[in-house]
Amino acid sequence: MAVKVIMPKQGLQMTEGTITGWLVEEGGSCTEGTPLFEMETDKLTITMDAPATGTLLKIIHGVDAVVPITHTIAIIGEPGEDIAALLAEAEAQNPAAASTASAAPAAPAAAPAAPAAQAAPAKEQEGKKFATPRAKMRAEEKSVNVMDVPASGPDNLVIERDVLAYEPAPAVKATPLAKKIAEIENVDLSEVKGTGSHGKIVKNDILSAVAARIAAAQTVKAKEDGAPAGRTKRVVPMTKMRKIIAERMVASLQTEAQLQHVVRCDMTNAAALREVYKKKNKKISYNDIVLYATSRALMDFPMMNASITDEGIEMHDYVNLGMAVAIDTGLVVPNIKDADMMRIDEIGVVAKELADKAKNNTLGLAEMSGGTFTVSNLGMFGLDQFTAIINPPESGILAVGAITKTPVVVNDQIVIRPMMSVTLSYDHRIVDGAPAAEFLRRVKEYIEEPTLML
Amino acid sequence: MSRKTYAMAIRDVLASEMKRDEKVYVMGEDVQKLGGIFGCTRGLADEFGDDRCFNTPISEQLMIGAGLGSACSGMRPVVELMYMDFTFVAMDQILNQVAKTRYVFGGKARIPLVIRGQQGIGRGNAATHSQSVESIFMHFPGIKVACPATGEDAAGLLRTAIRDDNPVMFFEHKGLYATKFEVPDDPDFCIPFGKARIAKAGTDVTIVANLLYVHRALEAAAILEKEGISAEVIDPRTLVPFDYDAVEESVKKTGRLVVVHEAHKTAGWGREVAAEISERCFRYLDAAPITLGTKACPLPFALNLEEAAVPSVADIVAAAKATLYK
Repeated sequence: MAVKVIMPKQGLQMTEGTITGWLVEEGGSCTEGTPLFEMETDKLTITMDAPATGTLLKIIHGVDAVVPITHTIAIIGEPGEDIAALLAEAEAQNPAAASTASAAPAAPAAAPAAPAAQAAPAKEQEGKKFATPRAKMRAEEKSVNVMDVPASGPDNLVIERDVLAYEPAPAVKATPLAKKIAEIENVDLSEVKGTGSHGKIVKNDILSAVAARIAAAQTVKAKEDGAPAGRTKRVVPMTKMRKIIAERMVASLQTEAQLQHVVRCDMTNAAALREVYKKKNKKISYNDIVLYATSRALMDFPMMNASITDEGIEMHDYVNLGMAVAIDTGLVVPNIKDADMMRIDEIGVVAKELADKAKNNTLGLAEMSGGTFTVSNLGMFGLDQFTAIINPPESGILAVGAITKTPVVVNDQIVIRPMMSVTLSYDHRIVDGAPAAEFLRRVKEYIEEPTLML
Repeated sequence: MSRKTYAMAIRDVLASEMKRDEKVYVMGEDVQKLGGIFGCTRGLADEFGDDRCFNTPISEQLMIGAGLGSACSGMRPVVELMYMDFTFVAMDQILNQVAKTRYVFGGKARIPLVIRGQQGIGRGNAATHSQSVESIFMHFPGIKVACPATGEDAAGLLRTAIRDDNPVMFFEHKGLYATKFEVPDDPDFCIPFGKARIAKAGTDVTIVANLLYVHRALEAAAILEKEGISAEVIDPRTLVPFDYDAVEESVKKTGRLVVVHEAHKTAGWGREVAAEISERCFRYLDAAPITLGTKACPLPFALNLEEAAVPSVADIVAAAKATLYK
């Protein structure tokens, strides 16, 4: 039984996705749960697994196709299986095909010789691709996939001259490192000449290409851009993720009335708590404690866990706790679903899992959608204190700094305590200064005295 | 080489073979004094005598039955039918007797019989005198079928037919009789059966045609050439045996096939060729073969309507372009 592969809807806001690569060729075999294709949304690039085991009978949408969610993008089944019905269904989803079909009756008859009977099957074939036997033979001779060849014959028919005129894009061989650098530097691999064995592109080839680009830019722009002699500016195109981050951050500051409160937490008891777990061979981090404390405090202050919508204030009786994760290409914020119902060690496990996925680029859209509050921790960089921009439509974000041994006054004595700053950015449209301060005090209490969370 | 009409090429080969072999003789309607209504037997009675070129009653059944018996007993008769449309009144003789006698007698009877005559359009001879009937004789085994398109082919194929010990249906075209061709003078000039002629070499589309339509296909090819399309025109020359190898080789090169003939398109021999070639070289085809033939209607009396019923040069051009998706 043939199975449809559909454009997955992974988050509430996702309406369409771009296919960036097929990992199995048409006609190839695929196994349920193993990677099948790569796609890109406005948030990320992700590898999707095959939903079934079998032969990839048909790829309906190729690379770079932008496909609305739930639309069929491929069909998996047994070789020779009749997939006409599924293809027809897929076609029906294709608005271009539908409009052509509806326009057909108005179009003048192409040739008086063409009997009306031929028109009907032609309409059904819209969107499908066929090749003449000779075109297939020529494609085999040229070792190209005949279905890759742009068709010029009637009804999307690939004919001999199409194949003869077709020049497939040569496969670019490059080392993984070279590919990675090329991606970051936005170097088109097809324009780089490889110096590795058999012309493989290696790291130095990319670096040379970048250097050449800089040099070229230098000669062109040095005069006009005001750069000091021998120095230059260069423009690197923004990645999709960079653009999204840029838009969302500006939107956040433009829509929300953001301001900050800061407290400093004494981490003595938190450190003791970690020791207790350590004795039981369980590892929890300070960040896990902060996440746990935040999720509990949010249940105490539901307005901090709400969002402003057009209809009104959307209250959540659950905490999906976002955690900002820096990755090579930017920043992602997966969230821990139902964090308020998890034990602290469970939160630790999920947080680690999400962080790993973020770094491997395998986060699903669902994991990045639906957050209600976010924690951003830059303590590892030694920041005493910093502020963060709220991740809309959330209403607050905690910026967690480093733990530093600090002289503090306790019982009129100056003592040294491990102190950590926590800065709350909140949206004054929804929460006023006093309740925000109360919330932050609750977070501080929980972190400083974890037993209060029991 | 001599320049002569198609009709004279026929006459001269008859004379040459009658001279060479006294067993060769001609019978038919008005062949003796008139020399046939198209002049194909003109002067034969004067040269060889009334017993070697003589008139028959108007009975095709009788003429062919007599020819068969005569052939069986050692003569080499050439029976001229005034119109090949009239084979229909002698179908039992042709298909049940001429075609099968050698077979049913275990190969002991030799049938060196030639049944020749003209057919086709061009004179407004109407429904029963303008048909192209060669496809029918390709369908039944036991007879060879020749269709010369030029004076040279008429001469070479007729000589081969007369010298053949098996019965041959020899289809001439009334529209070609007056056309002059270069014809070899060699009294032993023969063209083997089953060997197609490449009337024009080409690379983009193969056009197979016989009789008058070889010339129309060449006209079409000239028009196509101006549009940058190189058509190869193949004349099979004999339908039985048929030189499928030549067409196959050509189609493997061009990838496209148009078959055009004056015989009716429906169940015409072009369909047979298209099917055989599709089977032989399906992988090489870049388009479905197109067959052109006379429409499914009796041939009209009016010349303009007659022309409308048969494939035009423009039809051939359009079909060739259609196989090229142009």
